[in-house]
Amino acid sequence: MNNTVLELENISCEYKNDLILNKINLKINSGEKIALLGKSGSGKTTLISVLNGTIKPTQGKVKLFNESFEELDRKQKSKITTIWQDLRLIEDLSAEQNVNCGLLAENNFYFAFKNLLNISSFKKAHKYMKLCRLHNSIYDKKIGKLSGGQKQRVAIARSLIQESNIILADEPFNNLDPKLITTIKNLLLENVDKNNRKKSPKTALVALHRLDLLNNFDKVIGIRDGKIFFNIKRNNLKKIHLEKIY
Amino acid sequence: MNKLKFNYTSLSFLPILVCIPLGYQLINNIHFGGFKLFQEFLISAFNPKIDNEIIITVIKRLNETILIGFFSWLVSIIFGAIFGIISSNIFYKIINIPNFFYRIIRFFLTIIRSIHEVVWGIILMQIYGINFSIGIIAICIPYIAVNSKVFAEQLETIDYKNFESINQINAPKFSSLLTLIWNPIINTFKNFGLYRLECSIRSTVILGLFGIGGIGTSIFLSFQTLNFRELWTYLWSLAILIILSGLIFKKIKFNTTNKILSIFFIAVFFITILFSFSYFLYFIFNNNFENFNSVSSLFKSSSDLGLFDFLKLILETIILSLLSTGIAISLPPLVIGIFNNNSSKIFIKIFAFLLRLIPTPVILLTLLTFNNPSLSLAALTLGLHNAGITSKLLFTNLDSQDKRNYIAMKSLGISNKTSWLLGLFSQQAKSYLAYCAYRSDIIIRETAIVGVIGSVGLGWQLQESLSSFAWQEVTIVLIAYSSIAIVGELINGKIKNSLT
Repeated sequence: MNNTVLELENISCEYKNDLILNKINLKINSGEKIALLGKSGSGKTTLISVLNGTIKPTQGKVKLFNESFEELDRKQKSKITTIWQDLRLIEDLSAEQNVNCGLLAENNFYFAFKNLLNISSFKKAHKYMKLCRLHNSIYDKKIGKLSGGQKQRVAIARSLIQESNIILADEPFNNLDPKLITTIKNLLLENVDKNNRKKSPKTALVALHRLDLLNNFDKVIGIRDGKIFFNIKRNNLKKIHLEKIY
Repeated sequence: MNKLKFNYTSLSFLPILVCIPLGYQLINNIHFGGFKLFQEFLISAFNPKIDNEIIITVIKRLNETILIGFFSWLVSIIFGAIFGIISSNIFYKIINIPNFFYRIIRFFLTIIRSIHEVVWGIILMQIYGINFSIGIIAICIPYIAVNSKVFAEQLETIDYKNFESINQINAPKFSSLLTLIWNPIINTFKNFGLYRLECSIRSTVILGLFGIGGIGTSIFLSFQTLNFRELWTYLWSLAILIILSGLIFKKIKFNTTNKILSIFFIAVFFITILFSFSYFLYFIFNNNFENFNSVSSLFKSSSDLGLFDFLKLILETIILSLLSTGIAISLPPLVIGIFNNNSSKIFIKIFAFLLRLIPTPVILLTLLTFNNPSLSLAALTLGLHNAGITSKLLFTNLDSQDKRNYIAMKSLGISNKTSWLLGLFSQQAKSYLAYCAYRSDIIIRETAIVGVIGSVGLGWQLQESLSSFAWQEVTIVLIAYSSIAIVGELINGKIKNSLT
């Protein structure tokens, strides 16, 4: 049975005459936890943006659940969630309002309105913020007043609350201390936590810089100059592979 | 020889050169016939008339001014926000409508904005007769367009990455739109609302001079009867109203986290929209169109306006705008720089407040007491009034600026004036010039008011054409006005963009 959830067919991306992604072919199967390695400027962020539909490739096709991305409706597209490297939180909103933004896809306009007026329910938002080890004293604080690590976890909580099948994360462990990294990594990669409190995304592609964080991943993809240099099982990763991309 | 190099500081002072031709014509036009009147006008400022009768009139007239000013502000700020949203590119990106509509809406708003509220007022008065609601409508029409521009500009500053992020959540389009624009709209309202309320009150006063009602009408009548003591009673009461409205507005906290307050503001928002629509329909179906027989008269009426005369009027309007802008840009830094001590500052601030407070037609009529009507006099009037506004901004920015450079320069023994120029003003020059570029848009529109009184430019021609119901001439003059204002706005937009 074909269980491919995301597929890139011969994808190229150009920006101002620079080839950012060069004929990339990639298949991501359901339940796979993939680490994306590559140095800065190698094309990791662009690859994630193509996968979530934010950037339209110059050439090639993106498929989600075997259907062309452009033909999918809003509900189907919302099965992907993204944690951006630059977080992309709304500065003027509070932490809980930002997390609630993750629920916009499954709710109507009235919910968005209530969220902005601060009169919506934050029960679910608080649950995910708690899972991300955010203290309740910061729930109603504006994003501008939070530390880098707190902002990072708000962005992660906003993605997790979407309870999407696929999670794409661009260096999500920035600004986090080692203890928090373990917690957040478990949240991103594991289906259900110990107390069965949450349903985590089934499939994950995580762009990383730190090699010591590779455990828990099934596969590793190496990217350099917009090209995939290797796409292998984590256990097979050797020094020679890393030398190709760094 | 070194080439002359311009920087933002020198560019702020350079326009004062307009004073050379302006001063020459003004000196040639001096007459001493009304000097005594001018003296009386000044003395009356310290001795306004205060008795029961005038206090009752002041209260009644201020009531009218507040009603017209407040309602026109409320309607124009709410509809300005709505039009701002539909004329911002973020709306079209999210809703997925072709940009074509956005350009059409912006173009129409630019045309509406290019015509001053006084012109709208005069036209509407000619069509519908003098009516209390004409004042509100005349202010609302251009103000909605002006406010929409400000709201749209703020919405353009939304970080594209935030748009991508919200878009990626795949929420319903209007939910995404609301989430993205909510705070920029609220912040614009907080930062810009008070200023627009003040503008609305000023416009009500100016329209009052043309007979709409409110304290403006009383000001004009007391000026016509040369009752300066009464005139100053009205002016000081207007000053109190502007100061009080500012204080009250500052006290109101637009805290969107307060649920009751939020619901109250939302209710005001929807009630205003509903009320405006119903009133608009009532107004349309219950008016007699007194003087405006039919649209066809617009095409039947002949025009006696020769091409040469018409071009001369356009040229006069452009020169009037340039001279006034020159004064409005350079006079404040020059005066503040020369008289740079604490006591002078207080005096300049009071003088600037008075220049803002006294409506331009009254300033012009006062200056006419010792100078013959001319383009230079109209330019001086408009320039002085706007210098009052630009100096307020300059003072606000200078007062809040870090003064370490200034103090360091003074400690090196550099003179007070040079330290002020290089240590304080030079850091503000760029943003000051950017604001002046925006201000010059308004000056072009305001040439209509001084034109009507001072017998110069298209404003005067418009008044003449309207008085004789020469609708074809009115149309031609309005097209010319709009064209000048639109070209001016485009040039100023380019200047502003290069400065910010």
